[in-house]
Amino acid sequence: MPAMRDDPTVIALVTRAVNSDKDAWNEIVERYAPLVWSICARYQLKTQDIEDVGQTVWLLLVEQLGKLREPAALPGWLATTTQRECLRALTAARRTQDSGTLDDAPPVVVDAEAIEQEILAAERNAALRDALGELPVSCQQLLAMLISDPPRSYAEISATLRIPVGSIGPQRARCLERLRRSRALARLGASEARVSRSGGEGCA
Amino acid sequence: MREDWEDERLLDALRESQRARQDVPPWFTQAGQGAYAWHDIAAQLARLTYDSDHDQELEGVMRSAGMRSEAASIRALTFTSARLSIELEVTADSLVGQIIPPRQGTVEQQAMSGETAIVPIDEIGCFYLQPVPTGSFRLRCKTGDGVDVVTNWFVV
Repeated sequence: MPAMRDDPTVIALVTRAVNSDKDAWNEIVERYAPLVWSICARYQLKTQDIEDVGQTVWLLLVEQLGKLREPAALPGWLATTTQRECLRALTAARRTQDSGTLDDAPPVVVDAEAIEQEILAAERNAALRDALGELPVSCQQLLAMLISDPPRSYAEISATLRIPVGSIGPQRARCLERLRRSRALARLGASEARVSRSGGEGCA
Repeated sequence: MREDWEDERLLDALRESQRARQDVPPWFTQAGQGAYAWHDIAAQLARLTYDSDHDQELEGVMRSAGMRSEAASIRALTFTSARLSIELEVTADSLVGQIIPPRQGTVEQQAMSGETAIVPIDEIGCFYLQPVPTGSFRLRCKTGDGVDVVTNWFVV
């Protein structure tokens, strides 16, 4: 399992949440809601089922929070729990279909590799989020505009951030360099390098 | 995220992480954050394990004394936790429940709005909620012997 077992951010968040810090809990949900959501989406659950699965997963996590043996393996725990609850929801839905309505759609199968990809993406996204947080506000604003959808022109960026068009390119390069050197991305780099060296250790 | 990441790839990764966050509707995240209300509460989760709207194979499930065979047309639900189950039947004017194994206690009906109502559980484990709750709600059962469970949110 290529989880970032030594990720101090997750460990700190879990520890704070165990000790009644609601902000830490909110941050945990904010970070990993996309993981829970994306797995539900892979199983093509209906909105009502996604709502149920989400509630169950987060309630179980609240219960388990103080008992997680490896807080840093939280993404893996969330993925496994979400997957189990999705399968439960699908089984219930299939029983309904059998008893009446027609549905020839084949059952949704999500393989372990797909789940693994979602976990890796969630860890990468969380690291990027932390990395952005390490940057000065001016860099955060510039990068936010550079990745906005729809894309902003340099003229717009210049007008909004009050910086000359000519300095956007160099500033962009500087901010990305700082991002690359952030502690959060350095940790992620180390973690991914370990995974590639071990050749996907833990994957069946 | 290797050292040799080009600027464009790094920006793409940032875009991707933003998109992943934006895919998640705010209600989904807010509901998850709301689950923290259960932190430090001894209640165990009782999950929905049977719903007559979903499950047609009633045999062996309608085991509570109050549920006769003609109840098949009545909505029935069962929530199960390690230490007790909650069986529910929706009638015209009330939600009738029984906890298994039977014992006295209280049931708190909680609406998503935060409104709550508490009713007693009698000595044979039965309780009555009138009128039938509307909208999403959940039930928290506390028994005299210290069992404390809460159901998922559900609608009847």
